[in-house]
Amino acid sequence: MTDKILLLPIIIPLLGGLLALLTPKKSGALKEGISLIAVLLNLVVTFSLFKSNLYYALPWVGFGLEFSLRLYHFSAFIISASAFFGFLIMFYSVVFMRGKQFLNQFYAYFLITLAFINGAVLADNLVIMLFFWEGSLAALFGLIAIGGKGAFKTATKAFIILGITDLCMMFGIALTGQLAGTLTISNINLPLNLLGSLAFILLMVGAISKAGSMPFHSWIPDAAVDSPLPFMAFMPAALEKLLGIYLLTRISLDLFKLNPHTWISIMLMTIGSITIILAVMMALIQKDYKKLLSYHAISQVGYMILGIGTALPVGIIGGLFHMVNNALYKSCLFLTGGAVEKEAGSTDLAKLGGLRKNMPITFVCFAVAALAISGVPPFNGFFSKELIYDGALERGWIFYLAAIVGSFLTAASFLKLGHAAFLGKISDENKNVKEAPLAMLLPMIVIALTCIIFGVFNILPIKNFIQPILGEARLGGHNFYGLPTNIFLVVVTLIVLAAALLNHLFGVKRYGSGLKAVDHIHYAPGLSWIYNKAEGRFFDPYEIGLNLVNVISRVGYGIDRGIDWIYDKFTVNLTLALTGGIRKLHTGNFSVYLAWSLLGMFFVILFLLRSI
Amino acid sequence: MHYNWLVLAIVFIPVVGAFFLPLASRVSLRFRNIAAFVLVFSSFILSLKLIPLVLSGKTVLFTREFILGFNFTLLADNLAVFMACVSSLISSIIVLYSFGYISHYENQNEYYCMVVLFLGSMMGLVFSANLILLYLFWEITAITSWRLIGFFREKNYILKADKSFLVTVFGALVMLIGFINIYQQTGTFDMISIRWLLKDPISNIAVLLILVGILSKSATLPFHTWLPDAGVAPSPVTALLHAAVLVKIGVYVFARLFLVTFTLPDIWHTLIPIIAATSAIVAACAALIETDLKRIIAYSTISQIGFIFFGFALGNTLGIAGALLYILMHGLAKAGLFLCAGIVEQNTKIKDITKLGGLIKTMPITAVAFLFCAFSVMGIPPFGGFFSKYLVFAGALEARQIWIGSVFLFGAFLTIIYLFRVFNLVFLSEAKAPLVKEASPVMIFSVALLGLLSLFSGIFINYPSFFVQRTVMQIASVAR
Repeated sequence: MTDKILLLPIIIPLLGGLLALLTPKKSGALKEGISLIAVLLNLVVTFSLFKSNLYYALPWVGFGLEFSLRLYHFSAFIISASAFFGFLIMFYSVVFMRGKQFLNQFYAYFLITLAFINGAVLADNLVIMLFFWEGSLAALFGLIAIGGKGAFKTATKAFIILGITDLCMMFGIALTGQLAGTLTISNINLPLNLLGSLAFILLMVGAISKAGSMPFHSWIPDAAVDSPLPFMAFMPAALEKLLGIYLLTRISLDLFKLNPHTWISIMLMTIGSITIILAVMMALIQKDYKKLLSYHAISQVGYMILGIGTALPVGIIGGLFHMVNNALYKSCLFLTGGAVEKEAGSTDLAKLGGLRKNMPITFVCFAVAALAISGVPPFNGFFSKELIYDGALERGWIFYLAAIVGSFLTAASFLKLGHAAFLGKISDENKNVKEAPLAMLLPMIVIALTCIIFGVFNILPIKNFIQPILGEARLGGHNFYGLPTNIFLVVVTLIVLAAALLNHLFGVKRYGSGLKAVDHIHYAPGLSWIYNKAEGRFFDPYEIGLNLVNVISRVGYGIDRGIDWIYDKFTVNLTLALTGGIRKLHTGNFSVYLAWSLLGMFFVILFLLRSI
Repeated sequence: MHYNWLVLAIVFIPVVGAFFLPLASRVSLRFRNIAAFVLVFSSFILSLKLIPLVLSGKTVLFTREFILGFNFTLLADNLAVFMACVSSLISSIIVLYSFGYISHYENQNEYYCMVVLFLGSMMGLVFSANLILLYLFWEITAITSWRLIGFFREKNYILKADKSFLVTVFGALVMLIGFINIYQQTGTFDMISIRWLLKDPISNIAVLLILVGILSKSATLPFHTWLPDAGVAPSPVTALLHAAVLVKIGVYVFARLFLVTFTLPDIWHTLIPIIAATSAIVAACAALIETDLKRIIAYSTISQIGFIFFGFALGNTLGIAGALLYILMHGLAKAGLFLCAGIVEQNTKIKDITKLGGLIKTMPITAVAFLFCAFSVMGIPPFGGFFSKYLVFAGALEARQIWIGSVFLFGAFLTIIYLFRVFNLVFLSEAKAPLVKEASPVMIFSVALLGLLSLFSGIFINYPSFFVQRTVMQIASVAR
């Protein structure tokens, strides 16, 4: 009976969401109250379940689709993390969203998303997982679409991209189920033969597109502009990464036997490396606080995929640790962006600057998170990146090179962002900007502190949460916490970070402003042309895909019209032509008809005579 | 004995009652409307009463002998009861919606008479266990749908009605030749006898002939173009024709004949999926290019019918279960889409979606109902369409038809894209025409009900899926 408690993390937010949707508009802070209670309860339940191992199942659809939930150390960790972020960001949103439109819907979709994500993580049946996983799409569409007038276009883009990849996953799940003979996740362990690899790729497409990797990323920068900001901190920065990387880890470690000798491993590392480099290149040139962050949300996924793709314990640990760290500092960064937007009224970097004095706490939180994402010791990002470097270098210098170049550009772009937003001279209209309210500061402070704790005491998360995911057998007695063991890698990292600082100083000196500090890269010969095209969405896989679909559908429509022509024109004209000749014989003239009849009679008599 | 009368009542209450509706209008129009609803709804209620019986594994058989094998035989098994429940439920909602919709037009007596007769003959078709009887009911549906499509008497509309009549009747006649072919082999039209007499797969030529009839009725490539043209009909009629009943006749008869009665030669297990896949893709492409609201939804129907054919043609448990659930989910959702389209079209007087926009502001309920139904058609959980789509794919992969399965996967991508195109252009983008008010409460209620049913059929999937499981078991037990 106690196993039924597993339903709570799904039911509590879902009920909260439905209640928030149905509260009357004039009921004051009732919906905020309901939402906060729901996320708080969810937090309490998930934390109290943390150390338990539970299993709950009941028959549902038949055909092997059993409604089964399983709580063990990995899923417990992910739902606790989502509950943590859900609570803090909800706390933040209550103040941030005040006075905005469609508040009922915002809280409802937020909570429903949380419920579905909890369901997807807890599910122990592939189809049930997909049910929750894909089920969050409708809420996602709503969350983006309420952002503003044209936001529905971005919402549609997100929905189409994620919907299509989820359909791929549906196909992959059906294939996996057929290959394994079961849909129960904990009973599946398949080799990566031909069909196995196909199933892996289809599932992987769903996982990495949820995480926001290339080439399924292009809705995220658009959403950064259109959607309400807490959505960005909640979904692309935190929960979608947790969910996507959770699944990627499950399929790599449990569902399939991924090892370094498979071509799948190389493919994953390649996707990871390309995502790191291309996305951070785009981040570098952005002139908007939120949009810049959104490209980093894409780029950082690359590190996680690279780490897990190495299929080495050190890389996987690094990838998972990076997933946690990224969720922390990236949501913190988005929250600082929200504070700036709320107080200064804009996130356009050209209008910002010098906010350090007006918003000191926001600035400190930003600085901590920015140092963490750039991989500066002793913040958490440093340790996870070192682990990934270690794994990448073992698999090939080219992957390591991609990772380290990515780090250089990450550091450079955050120096630019910090300089442009918080340092330098303050503009006249921003003179009276105040610090954000306490309710918005608290979540940032908590997350920033966690960044420091997870860095300095990295034994805490790695030993308690992450190493158990791999299990003793895979670890082989190694421990991955504490200081990095490979001094060479650390030295290279420090050199690269120093280079990024020098590059920034060079840029500032040359162009005289923090915002333009990377213009020598942006407008470098050759690069500027590519940048120009990329900004014009020339390389957007979504646009390319839609154009392709358009061409295909014109062909299909042509076939359809052709068939219709056969009915409407060809058959009609053919009939008219065939009957035309006979019609001419029917002149209405009596003597002609008489002649025909006599002729007919003649043939009849001839026939009768012959048969005698 | 009691159940025999039940089956007869399901068929003949609407068939006979339909002709009394014009008389009922002499009493009052309201009485006639309610009578029409009662006739259809009683079919639904009585069909529901059969569920406990068929779930317990029994079937109802009613036979009256006639000469030359033209026996009057009705059979109620799981498959028939499932189909009867689905069609009569959706028809009831559509009749309800008609109260509001059709009240502005002339010839209402004809309309209600035809709709009820249509549903009645559909019920007859579902339960008939004799090929000739099936053919008779089949042709009655063709005649009623011909009148309904030509309901507005403009010349152009009549031509479209003639087109659909000619195509489907041509198909039906070809199918009749196929039936005669079967008769020559077995000496009977009785399906149950045929099942025991025919041990081998039937001849390819008979399959081909019957298939022409089925494909033309179910609007599958290359016999599909009458369906979008039928969009000139009053909207509830198109909904009824497309979603709930007419196009499902073909797939139902396919299941009835080729799964339960005959054995298909092996080659058709590959050929039919190829036909279905081509149909699904071509129609989806057309749906992306078309700009007429009802034509788009009609093309979408053609595309989705491909999925149902695919599931049945696979012939394995998962595929059949998927196809059966698909009939239910698609019926609910597509009826909802058509009825929403009817509201939009009637209130704005515009058919071209590129000239509409922003209607979510003034028609929020219609918009949400449309979106819910669209989600179900796309196969997005927690809506019902998710499970049917998954099961069809699972069946495809069980049969290892990976290539054809991927073509359908592409078709599913297109579904998401074209439905969002419609939704965005009609409800979200900037208003290009004056915004209009919501329709009458009874119409709103009908679409909201269909939207919610699409949602709840997914959340409470265990009920329909339990029924489907039993049906599949029964099919497996009679199939060889």
